[in-house]
Amino acid sequence: MRIVIAEDDALLREGLVLLLTGEGFDVAAAVAEPDPFLAAVAEHRPDVAVVDVRMPPTHTDEGIRAAVTAKRTHPELAVLVLSAYVEQAFATDLLAEGTAGIGYLLKERVGKVEEFLDALNRVAEGGTAIDPDVVAQLFTRRRDPLDRLTGREREVLALMAEGLGNVGIAERLVVTEGAVHKHIRNIFAKLDLAQSDRTDRRVAAVLHYLGIGT
Amino acid sequence: MVRATFASLERLAGGLGTAFMAFFTLICWIFVAVACLFGVGLLLVSPMVAMTRGVAERERRRLRRAGLEVMTPYTVIPLPQGWRAGIRAARADLATPRDLRWLGVHATAGLICGLLGVFMPLAALREITYPLWWQALPPDLRAANFNIPVTTWPAAIVLSLVGLAAMVVLILLIPRLDRLQASYALRLLTPHPSIDLSERVARLTATRADALRAHAAELRRIERSLHDGAQNRLVAVVVTVAAAKRALNRDPARAVPALDRAQEAAEQALAELRGVVRGILPPILADRGLDGALGSLAAGCPVPCALTIGELGHLPLSVETTAYFTVAEALTNIAKHSGARRAEVEVGLAGPSLRVLVRDDGMGGARTDAGSGLTGIRHRVEAHDGTLTLTSPEGGPTVIEVELPCA
Repeated sequence: MRIVIAEDDALLREGLVLLLTGEGFDVAAAVAEPDPFLAAVAEHRPDVAVVDVRMPPTHTDEGIRAAVTAKRTHPELAVLVLSAYVEQAFATDLLAEGTAGIGYLLKERVGKVEEFLDALNRVAEGGTAIDPDVVAQLFTRRRDPLDRLTGREREVLALMAEGLGNVGIAERLVVTEGAVHKHIRNIFAKLDLAQSDRTDRRVAAVLHYLGIGT
Repeated sequence: MVRATFASLERLAGGLGTAFMAFFTLICWIFVAVACLFGVGLLLVSPMVAMTRGVAERERRRLRRAGLEVMTPYTVIPLPQGWRAGIRAARADLATPRDLRWLGVHATAGLICGLLGVFMPLAALREITYPLWWQALPPDLRAANFNIPVTTWPAAIVLSLVGLAAMVVLILLIPRLDRLQASYALRLLTPHPSIDLSERVARLTATRADALRAHAAELRRIERSLHDGAQNRLVAVVVTVAAAKRALNRDPARAVPALDRAQEAAEQALAELRGVVRGILPPILADRGLDGALGSLAAGCPVPCALTIGELGHLPLSVETTAYFTVAEALTNIAKHSGARRAEVEVGLAGPSLRVLVRDDGMGGARTDAGSGLTGIRHRVEAHDGTLTLTSPEGGPTVIEVELPCA
């Protein structure tokens, strides 16, 4: 899998390169600024771009804007954005482009290599990866209708919002796929959401219900 | 009582200084007034108002040092360019006629007060000590004040007693002269009664807004340096340690460079954190107090720096921090830009305020506009209702004076 990295902090950039090449990924380019990043995407046509939110010149949301631009010009590109802190507005901006092949994670998740690689693969395959902290924030905003769900159902909903499929959810919660399936049916019924068996549509529906994404 | 008299005497001597200036300014005004009859004087009115303000401001600072609350009342500082705009602005300012009235009183009555206050004790001292040295005088010069001849021992003793009596009267009189001098200044140099409160409210609002802005900017700076600095380094540690762990299983040789990176990143994170903490509250200030912290700043300055620390009393921490950062910034500028060969720092209580003065013999041209480190210091100082005065003509020397109210 070919990857382009945009991260302005030199040590972290090198760390990411070290980790990803060690895992057998092909890191085509690792750059520090938005413009070279867009150039590298055009040149190397990577499968995934890993982008830091804060980059020069103003260190605010250059990374989000560069990711959105790259996604528009290369719709098949998957983008995984790394953020120093949870900012729902960033996730909202990013997911305005749709949920396919989009990820938004806190930087420290990279340390949990298994989960990080899982998210990277999911995004590369056209799926979604949303940071658990972002999902938790979305949950607090819609507390009332979510109170109708059982605790286990809320866990399942959160993992769906993170972008996990049935298998992934079953693994995390250590239950059978059949049980996950039953929980999901209940959740959709309680929240009046249209059922769908396709994971990507389901993630989009859940995120839309929680207030981000289209 | 004698101590109070000495304090009054000191103030009268200071007042005598401004009274001489007021006298000189008054003479200038008279010339300008005459010149106005021919029209050309109009060009000089605006500079004369500025000069009057200069003398009045000096007097205000003197009174503030004596512990009296005298606010600067001007609405437009400095006066606009151009003689016509200058006159218009001066006329619109309620403080202008009050300044002029004060100038008239201080140049006459104030001058007399000062002269009496300073020279009468000297005259009395001369008479008290007369018996000690009158015989050393040539016979035709043996006289008391007002040229009254005193040529015998009994007369000399009597004269000494008269001098002593005069001195006692003076000890009672001098504080009154001092109060007299301050009373009309307090009446005329403060803002016009009608604008005092609104002016003060506006000023307080502005400084509070400044304080909030400075506070918010400070928080943003801390947030930025934590997120983009220390946190990034720690994430790099986490990532490289994770990479090393996974490399250990496959190819242990590749784990070593990753661990080296991780250690480097962890050390940088520590350095970043130290930097952030130092920016919030310098640990040396917490450990060794303001004088110790300033001593270490002066010792660390590459330009030889003479440090004079007066009485500090018990200062609020926020005042100490601001004073510390002022000196730190000033010395950094001196080391980086001034080309100075020596610097002086003076810190001490002056009345109810902490006064910080940094002087160098460098090339001057320092500014407090946007972008300079002194801008941040000015905001910090003004947020404390303090004042920062920077004089730095091209060619030097540069003097930064900061007054921070301690109450």
